[in-house]
Amino acid sequence: MSLVSARGRSATAPLARWLARNRGALIAAIVFALSLGVVDWVGAGPLTYFDVSFLSSGGATSAIAAMGQTLVVLSGGFDLSAGAVVSLVNVALASSMDPMAPGANIVLWTLAGIGIGMTVGAFNGFFIAWLRMQPIVVTLSTMFILQGVTLLVMDKPGGFVSPDLGSFYLGDALPNLVPMPLAVIGVVLLMWLWLKGTRFGTALYAVGSDPDSAAAVGVGVVMVRFLVYVIAGGCYGLAGVFISAQTGSGDPLVGNPLLLSMFAAVVVGGTRLGGGQGGPAGTVFGAYILMMVVNILLVLNVSAYYSTIAEGTILILAVLAGSISRGSVLAVKLRAARAQFAAWRAGILPAQLDRADRRMQIAPRTPSRAGAAPPLHVRYAETFRYALPAYICLVAIVIATQLWLGHAILNPGYWNSLLVLSSFLAVLALGQGTVILTGGLDLSVPWTIGLCGIILAGTVNGSDAALAYALPAVLVMALAIGFANGAGIVYLGISPIVMTLATNGILQGFALLYSQGTPAGFSSPMLRWFMTGRLAGVTPVVPFMLAFVAVAVLVLGRTPFGRRVYGIGNGVRAAQLSGIRVERTLILVYMLSSLCAAVVGVMLTGFSGQASLGMGDDYLLPSIAVVVVGGTLITGGRGHYLGMLGGVLLLTALQMLLAGTTLPYATRAILYGLVVLGAVMALRERRVQ
Amino acid sequence: MGIVSIARRIALMAGLVASAACAGSAAEAADKYKIYLSMSFIGNDWQAEAANMVKAMAAHKSMADKVDLQVQVAGPNAQRQIQQINAMVQAGAKAIVIFPISPTALNQVVKNACDKGVKVFAYDAEITEPCAYNIHIDQEEAGRVTAEWLVKKLSGKGNIVILTGVPGTSVDDQRTKAAKAVFAKYPNIKIVGEAVGMWSQAVARTELSKILATRSWDDVDGLWLQVGCFTANAMQLEAGKKPNELKPCAGEGANGGRIQMLPQSTKVEGASPPYAPLGAPRISYASPPYSGALALKLAVQALEGKDVPKLTILPLPVVTSETVKLCEEGTWEEMKAGCNAFNPALVSNPGWFASIFSEQTPEIGLNAALVGQPEN
Repeated sequence: MSLVSARGRSATAPLARWLARNRGALIAAIVFALSLGVVDWVGAGPLTYFDVSFLSSGGATSAIAAMGQTLVVLSGGFDLSAGAVVSLVNVALASSMDPMAPGANIVLWTLAGIGIGMTVGAFNGFFIAWLRMQPIVVTLSTMFILQGVTLLVMDKPGGFVSPDLGSFYLGDALPNLVPMPLAVIGVVLLMWLWLKGTRFGTALYAVGSDPDSAAAVGVGVVMVRFLVYVIAGGCYGLAGVFISAQTGSGDPLVGNPLLLSMFAAVVVGGTRLGGGQGGPAGTVFGAYILMMVVNILLVLNVSAYYSTIAEGTILILAVLAGSISRGSVLAVKLRAARAQFAAWRAGILPAQLDRADRRMQIAPRTPSRAGAAPPLHVRYAETFRYALPAYICLVAIVIATQLWLGHAILNPGYWNSLLVLSSFLAVLALGQGTVILTGGLDLSVPWTIGLCGIILAGTVNGSDAALAYALPAVLVMALAIGFANGAGIVYLGISPIVMTLATNGILQGFALLYSQGTPAGFSSPMLRWFMTGRLAGVTPVVPFMLAFVAVAVLVLGRTPFGRRVYGIGNGVRAAQLSGIRVERTLILVYMLSSLCAAVVGVMLTGFSGQASLGMGDDYLLPSIAVVVVGGTLITGGRGHYLGMLGGVLLLTALQMLLAGTTLPYATRAILYGLVVLGAVMALRERRVQ
Repeated sequence: MGIVSIARRIALMAGLVASAACAGSAAEAADKYKIYLSMSFIGNDWQAEAANMVKAMAAHKSMADKVDLQVQVAGPNAQRQIQQINAMVQAGAKAIVIFPISPTALNQVVKNACDKGVKVFAYDAEITEPCAYNIHIDQEEAGRVTAEWLVKKLSGKGNIVILTGVPGTSVDDQRTKAAKAVFAKYPNIKIVGEAVGMWSQAVARTELSKILATRSWDDVDGLWLQVGCFTANAMQLEAGKKPNELKPCAGEGANGGRIQMLPQSTKVEGASPPYAPLGAPRISYASPPYSGALALKLAVQALEGKDVPKLTILPLPVVTSETVKLCEEGTWEEMKAGCNAFNPALVSNPGWFASIFSEQTPEIGLNAALVGQPEN
């Protein structure tokens, strides 16, 4: 997203060039050394080899997995299934090792783990490379499917992993000199260095930088993409083997929380999201920096409520530190501001000059062209093509519900419930969808929802009169959150994922501090009636939602703001050159997203009657999924709100169908993943002829 | 810890994390037991309440000059908790009190800690490593007792809806399997809807709405919900049911649910529907949030050389519509006399867990759970 390339141009000597190219990784290494120094300095005693060995094993799982993720990111992709692969390998090993066997063959089990990871990678790669489907949605479906499979293999923690594996992977490579975890990471890095030197390595960076150009010069883009996911899968598999060795047992949930921190590690390590720049070496330092945060918080005795705030701040600072240079966005913005100020003092700003209209005369439009507007189905062909699959699947799901459970198509209660339950995601889809249309992502949605809901409930406390000032106050607060997100992205040049991830942590801290751990207060009768009452047979939120949909369609399709959003998504530089104020629009986009999240926080508070911490957690991945299932391109520029709405209705109807059955959760997760995958199959890019 | 190291700390804290709060100076902690609490996520009521009670226990006059307690949060990430426990051992912990994120994943690191002479106490959930001390309820008993109550209430016949907890955890697995084993013995009990409730009232609301989209409350005879009875009763009122038509519900020990169990005529300060007496037919059980505080107390006893059993099974706190009783102030003495529900005026959050009484912890009462204040 950065508007300006951060690469120094003055670098001529080979050393300077090498430094410039690896700046991200180097700065990550320096930050890591600093944090190690802090722990050593403040901690109880000097770091011994024993402590180093402990630290190295603590961060190894996420470092190895994040290296795989780095390759995917370098190729311009995104892999959400990484954490699920780690869990799957863990339970597969723990459930198939025999506690009675005298010893375990370390090579064999390691290869088994890597093999499982590569198989999953091949599955991802097939859909992404050959069927040209969007990585985020393929890997999201894979994640759901794998979570189901993992629970089928092992439905609760347990099992057995041979201690041989543990003593090997946690032992010493060279006694009292190199702990094994570091040696394993070193081996993976050496393999990467070799790979980087091959044609595949060059092709990987080429595909990540610009797939079209890469294809034009004869790079086999499809094969490169496929192999990237397979290799990455192998890394996750190795991480799964490592965590099995570390824990000596299986736990079906062990890998899932690794996912978000993995992306943070990749970015802190200097790899650019979107591809083409960076590498796994920096990622290793990124992963260890994030792990060291735990130790730093401990030795400084930071109170638990502040820990997410401290983490978010550290994340932003680490990324900022990595981008300090003359070419960084912040420096450019400061120079531009100075130039503007100087121009204003000199009185030569365009706004200060005389405002005579010097536009060129354009011949008036000939009336005959107005009559030749193409018919609707031609004009909106693309919108239909990308939005229709979601609606076709929706119809199929509703029919399936009727056949399986009954009481659906002719039951007004069913439709009412469908719309009420969809309303949360429908509102979120506008915010998240607009952000995605500009090529970003908003990960601060969960705790914007949580914080807004908690503050609203705490202020309203059951009084309708208080709602009159609490609601605007909460919405204004949301706008401020969105402004902070947007400003960080635009003026500090922080990538949207990192900025919003950090904001999410900081908001979580605020919510904890505000509520002191248990949110007080409850929604007012009017708000509760709005979400759960009846007005002429329908819940009042349903007509609100229909109005919201109409406004959303108009905002994105018929206003200058909407056109600017699409313009930015199609190409920031082009948008800038055609006179769009990119910065202002981006900030507005993030403010819109936070506003939508706040509205959902208010609606959820009315729906549940009170607010709870973490009530937004279940809405992050679905908010991205519905946008993509509705035909929106995750890299921006293409998508229609009505398509997203189709995605919302489809996924909600599917969940209602599954909830009405007594299928086990594992089967439901697999079905859910398969339906999402199936729905977007129809959306895949057509092959360029 | 000399003056220099304190000065270093202060300089670092000012420089690095300006917003961070710090507690306790190092010098006065010299002759106290350094005990760490490693919590899981703090994103829910139960965890916050348990943490408050641990802090209150540490602040009680019998403990304050013995214990230097520091609290850290690991989030939902077992990897992080492993790292955190390592760091605690390195920082010189005498004992570590843990809410374990996984019963198995921590085994190696806990064993390492034990080998270095650190006492490790796990509360609420278990750690299977034999050197750890465990304090929790019998989850299978919880599932079985509540299911048997529901079957009896329905006279062995009817359609029921169940909501489970977080899939893939031992606690959920044990409760759900034990309950289903009971239901399986009665062929006329039919499970017509099952969803994942994640131990959250908010999730219970959405999942029940999904289940009821294709059926009406009249098609359901009873509910077995690990968390969600408070919400289910509220939804029945919204659907036009009278309080005396509420379905029997076996579920959590939230205060909102306890208040609903009181007879409709009860005078309750600060009540407003649905957080009000309804005479709801209920059995209410919970994993009690005092287990962390008890773990701390036992840890200190162990450090003082007393004999502490490796496994403490807590009595299952069960309250039915017949045994529910309102507390006036919520002191430990009053709870000992048998009260088990709290005025909404005192506890404004209906999702707050009301099972805070233990014979073994006279140090902590309602104020401990609410604000971390011990009893006198």
